[in-house]
Order: sequence, then structure tokens, then C-alpha cells
Amino acid sequence: MTTAHFSPRANAVLAFFSGRLLPVTLVAICVIFALIEPAFLSPENLIGIVHQVSIIGIMAVGMTFVIMTGGIDLSVGPVMAFAGVCAAYTLEASGGNVGLAALAALTLAISIGLFQGLCVAVLGLPSLVVTLAGMSIVRGTALLTGGPDLHLIRGPESFLFIGSGQISGVPFSVFVFAAMIAVAIFLQYRTVFGLTVLAVGDNERAAYLSGRRVRVVKAATYVLCSFGAGVAGIVLASQVHTAASTYGAGIELDVIASVVIGGTSLMGGTGSVPRTVAGVFLIGIMNNGLALMNVPIEMQLIAKGLIIVLALALADRPWQFSR
Amino acid sequence: MTGAPLLRARGLGKTFGTLVALADASVEIRAGEVRSLVGANGAGKSTLIKILTGAIRPTTGEVEIGGEIVETGRPAEMLARGVACIYQHSNLAPAMSVLDNIFLGRQPTRGLGLLDRPRQRREAEALIARYEIDLDLDATVADLPTVKQKEVEIAKALSLDAKILLMDEPTAWLAHEEVANLFRTIRTLKRNGVGIVYISHILDEIFEVCDTVTVLRDGRVVADWNIADITRQQLLQKFIGERLAADAGAHARRSRSARGTGTVKLAVNHLGRKGLFEGIDFEVYAGEIFCITGLIGSKRTELVRSIFGADRFDSGTIVIDGTEVRPRNPADGIGRGVGFVPEDRHRDGLMLKMSVEQNLIMSALGDVTDWGLMRRSRIADMSRAAIADLNILPPEPHKEVAKLSGGNQQKVLIGKWLQIHPDILLLDEPTVGVDVGAKAEIYTILRKLKAEGRAILVVSSDMEEVMTIADRIMVMRSGRMVGIWDADAVTQQEIVAYVGGE
Repeated sequence: MTTAHFSPRANAVLAFFSGRLLPVTLVAICVIFALIEPAFLSPENLIGIVHQVSIIGIMAVGMTFVIMTGGIDLSVGPVMAFAGVCAAYTLEASGGNVGLAALAALTLAISIGLFQGLCVAVLGLPSLVVTLAGMSIVRGTALLTGGPDLHLIRGPESFLFIGSGQISGVPFSVFVFAAMIAVAIFLQYRTVFGLTVLAVGDNERAAYLSGRRVRVVKAATYVLCSFGAGVAGIVLASQVHTAASTYGAGIELDVIASVVIGGTSLMGGTGSVPRTVAGVFLIGIMNNGLALMNVPIEMQLIAKGLIIVLALALADRPWQFSR
Repeated sequence: MTGAPLLRARGLGKTFGTLVALADASVEIRAGEVRSLVGANGAGKSTLIKILTGAIRPTTGEVEIGGEIVETGRPAEMLARGVACIYQHSNLAPAMSVLDNIFLGRQPTRGLGLLDRPRQRREAEALIARYEIDLDLDATVADLPTVKQKEVEIAKALSLDAKILLMDEPTAWLAHEEVANLFRTIRTLKRNGVGIVYISHILDEIFEVCDTVTVLRDGRVVADWNIADITRQQLLQKFIGERLAADAGAHARRSRSARGTGTVKLAVNHLGRKGLFEGIDFEVYAGEIFCITGLIGSKRTELVRSIFGADRFDSGTIVIDGTEVRPRNPADGIGRGVGFVPEDRHRDGLMLKMSVEQNLIMSALGDVTDWGLMRRSRIADMSRAAIADLNILPPEPHKEVAKLSGGNQQKVLIGKWLQIHPDILLLDEPTVGVDVGAKAEIYTILRKLKAEGRAILVVSSDMEEVMTIADRIMVMRSGRMVGIWDADAVTQQEIVAYVGGE
């Protein structure tokens, strides 16, 4: 990489953009949409975007940790659906005890995550295979317990508030998403866990030889990821007033795409929660803006795919220019 | 009984920045000749080999093959002209058959990418018949003994029409009886007019199988002999450099302190691990540097990994400060005040994408965290102090470790272990791949730790390093200890002889 062709000023500009490509793109896309369709910038629409992305966002935040260790979790869709069904059942059985329902759904999700995490961390099985199997097993078990039908959730009001309620105009699910982000950022930057996740993804052997508890940390990332899927399951069930074991088919791809667009390498060792959040918004804003502009769904899908490839191509070749 | 020259290299030189790796080295390889290339670590052997394989381009000099000057620095060009290298570590695809490995990447085809299986087999059979290599073409490589795997690599090279074979310590991983097999193959190759460059530290082998020897020291060719004309003693003296050895010895002697303060920190009693090492007995005292030396493959690394807790052991005991311990994992070892600097810093030591600071605190997180929460000011204090103490350059705690030079990376790795204030520090080849300046700095660090009364155990293959820093020396061969000597009571030549098994 030489600097010969660039003037110092051009280099300074390039240096600024390197590593900031994602936020810059995000802003650029917002500007374009705002110019074409002024309604894009209305507070209702902006809040609407956050509301729309919150379910994928909640899961993507948890997924970030798994991918940072160099692993992957394909089972989040079925876990989300199963957690929703579990919440619906518990609500019905307990006569509307929201706390109990949430507890049951999250316990279920965490147990699935723990099991998969132990398979990966202790037995040393590849995460792709473990969670691919998990995807199938969890979906099957959910269908076995919940059947293929929709389960209507009629109440109580406090449960429906999680997905549909608002606090001074802002949907409650946005607060849930924000809380997940805050906890995840804290975990990543302020705790031994966060540092170890990065270390494991960068060089697992070295992390082990440095005395880090590699297995515990690896397993914990899957627990965290499934926890996110559990939370998303509750929010979704509450939002659409139904639970079904068939929900969330293919959603893992959107979740993983958000993380990867954020710049977290599938090889592990790099990535961050804030960047994942930016990735979530990039996909969400694209969807929203294209929909506002009445772009047909086929074109939306193609555009989304192109952006993923573009983001990866640019991320794999960081724009580095030596001084 | 050697034929026409196959390859002539004249005046080869290579500098990396200010480091001169090779200066004015000339070597000639003839058909049917086995030429031994010897020299201590850092003498320039690997640089010379890399030039001949085209992996690096020399700064000066030229290489002539078959009477033509060839363009250097291009691996494909060298391969096309018949120069092939058998590396110490296998380059085979273990899950595939011998046949597939021989033709890996250039299988004969019928066009359209369809494999021509019968032709592949015919060619391979002709090849192994011609060179009298006894191989089962359908065996899976992973199931073969090490020596057979070497022969697969040789067959693979020959199938490329290799005229010149470079062999980098081919016997390092072989058992004694396997070596004889390999030598038989080498003699057949000779008869067929192949020129061989044989790199080894083992004098027995050199005198048994080689015709000529080129001795490198400090990047220069210091001798070029027919094996028949010299004695072992002559070769040894050239190899080590008498004057240099004497100088280093005199300097080192002044600061030596065998058995340090007289307190045993670490005692290893009859330690063994099946198939790797057995019957290892030694003590390391507080305030001394205890060196374990031996050839690659003598299982020194495996031994220290077991002491640290990274691997298990089957028999014997480890006693630290008078208490018998059985470390189950590295965290356990660290908890007992043991640090371990592994040999391969990229594979086992550092998180390359992470910062200097993050690497430095990695083993001592307990000291800079409360209840799993990072304490930023304490982290900053720790890394600032370590960077200053160890003279890590550039002194930027947030710099990515991958962007540091080898020497500075090594200082970060050692620095990481100093943060746990180890009572016992195990270091495996602590100066491999670092420049002379950083080497001296690392020795200074080790001497300082010794003065603080810590017990230091260094595994090293570099004789000069051993003689420079060791207070006592243990030699290992094939998983057994040969003996322990006070560094003052033994010469470098004697240690080399013990290492080589004479």
C-alpha cells in the first residue's frame, strides 16, 4: 500500500473514512431518502424504524458475541418462536401471570443456549453444525408442543404492552432494544467477559494459555445469544398478539447479516456491539426507505443482498493508507 | 563420485533493514551430491534455503541453474527448474491417499477437468520403482509413519522432475530406525543423479550420508569441505566459532550463579508422559536461569507445557515450594505463580488483532478488575509501566500488536507474563525470530528477574544463547534427559556433543 498517488489532504480524507465507512454510509442513505421522500424524516417514521428493527436488533446484539468468538448461532429463529409459544402457554396456564410467562420463556431460551454452548465449548463441535442441528431440534420440539397453529394471546394488558405499548409516544419495544444495547456495550467494554470474548476470537490457544476460562466464556456467548432470541420471542408474541412455533423462519439470516454488515468478522476477533447496531439500522432503513418509495419487494430483496456483499467487500479490504 | 554442477549460487546476500541475514554466500550443488548445510540458529541457513526456493529475493548475488542465470524471488520459477524443498513440517494433505498427495494440485486429466486415474497410477508406480521408494499408493497419509510421510514428500518432489532437493532437518521427527530408511532413499536418489542439500545439526548423520559440507556463520560461508577430509572436531569448531564461544563464555561466567539463592522453587521428579518423555528429574532454584537444550523433537516443549498445566502428565511429581502440585490447566499454573512464554508467539502467544495494552493485561486480569469489571485507570497504569520497563516500541498502548516488529511483539509476550509477577517463569525459545538488539534486551530482562530471586527455566536450541544466559544446563534427547551440568563446568562443544548424541 503506497501513498504516492495521494496528496496529504486526500490521504487525510481517506484516513477519516477508513473505519468510518458504515456510519458515513448510514448518513448518506438517510440523506438520499430524505431528499426523495421527505416523510422519511418525520418523527413517526423514525420511531417506526426503530420499532421495526427492534426484534432483529435484540437478537443481533446477542449474536455479536457469538460471532466475535469465531462461532455462529443459526438457531435463533426457532428459539425465538419456541420462547413465544412458551410464554403464551404459561400465560394461559397461570391465568395471565406476565412475570412467570417471561421467566419461563427466558429460562427455556437460556437452557437451549447453554446446551448448544456446552456442545461447542466442551465437546469442541463446530458451532455451525451444533446450531444447525439445534435449529432443527428446537423447531421440531416447538411444533411438538405448540402444533402448527397460531395461539392467540388475549391479555393481560401488561403483556401486550411489551410489544405494542408506548411511553410518551415511543414504543416500549424500543426501550427493550435500548436496554439490550446498553447491557451489551457494558459487557463488551467494561467486563473481563467482553475482553475474553475478543481474545478467544482472535487467538483461542493463546487465550487458553494466558489462563483465560475459554470454555466458560464460549458457552456463555451462546447463552447470551439465546437469551436475546428469548427476549425477541416475548416482544414478538406481544406485538402480534399471537405465538406460533413457525415464526421466525429465515430470520437468523437477517440477524447474522446485521452483525456482519456491522463489520464483525465471521472469523472472530473483531467487531463491536455499536457497529452491529449500525448494521441493524442500515438494513432497517433500507427496508423502510425503499418501502416508502414504493419499491417492489423483489427489488428490495435484491438491494439488500447487494448491500451485504458491498459491505463485506469493503470491510474485508479496510481502507488503510500508511502515513 | 559426483557429476556436473546443477546449481551455482554466487555472492548471495540478504539484508532485512539493518539486519544482515546473509552476506556473500556462495555454494555449488552437483548431480549425485549430498551437501550438508550447517550453522547455528541465525547463521543464515534458512535465508539461503528461502532464496533457493524462491521464497525471498536476495539483495545481492545470483543463482545459476543448468548454466543459466535464473530470476530469483519466484517460487514457481525455481520449482520449474527443478528445485524442491522438503520442509521440517509436513506439507501433505493428511486425509488423502499417497497417490493423490503425490499429484496434489496438478493431477493428470483427460481434459474438462476429469481425472485420468489410470495414468496417475502408472506415473506414480514408475516413479517409485525408479527411485526404489517403498510406498503403498492407496494408503491414507495420516496412517503412515513419519518416515513414510517424508518419502511421500520426496516422491511428490520427484514427480515434479526435481533435480535438487533441499531437506530441512528431515530426521527431526524420525525415530532411530526410521533414519536408516530415509538414508537408504537418499542414497538411491544420489545414484539417480539428484543433488541434495541436507540441513541437520546432528554430526553423526552428516558424516554418514553427506559428501560435502558448507558451514555458515553470521551469514557467511566459513568453510566448504569434502566430508572425507575433515574430522568431527574440525567441523564443530567451525560451526560454533572458537573465538566467539570463548568471548561469550568469559562474559557469561561473570554473572553466573548456579543454584541461585539455594532455595528450590520447582522440583520435577521422574516426570513422564506416555510416548513423549519419561524419567525427567531436575530442580530449578530461586535466582537462577536453568536452560533445557536439545534438538527439535527432543520433547522439551512438551515437558514445559506439562509443568505449566497446558498438558497432562502420566507419571512422576511436580513440587513447587515444597508442595506437590498437579496443575490441571494454565489458569491453575498461573494461580501457583507459574508463567509460560510459548515458542510460537503468533500461534500460541499473542492476540495479534488486539492492542498492546489488552495483550499485556491478559494473564493478570485479576489485578486490574473488581468482580469482573475492568478498572481503566489500573489497566492504564499497568500497561504504561510495562511499556516503559520493557522498552516496547512504539510506546503506544493502543497499537495493534500485529503492527509491531518481531522483537517488540516478543517483549509484549514476555511483558504479559511479568504482570503476574511469576515466581517461576518458563520460556520456550524466548528469542526465536527476534533481532540482535531485542535479543540483548530480553537477556537483560531475564537477568533482572533472576536478580529478583525468581526461578527461570529457558528452553533453547541456540547454543550461544544457552552459554550466554544459563547458570545450569540440562540436555534432552528423544524425550529423556542426558544430564545436567553447571554452565561453568562445561564447554559449548561438550554440550553440542551431548545434544547430538555422541
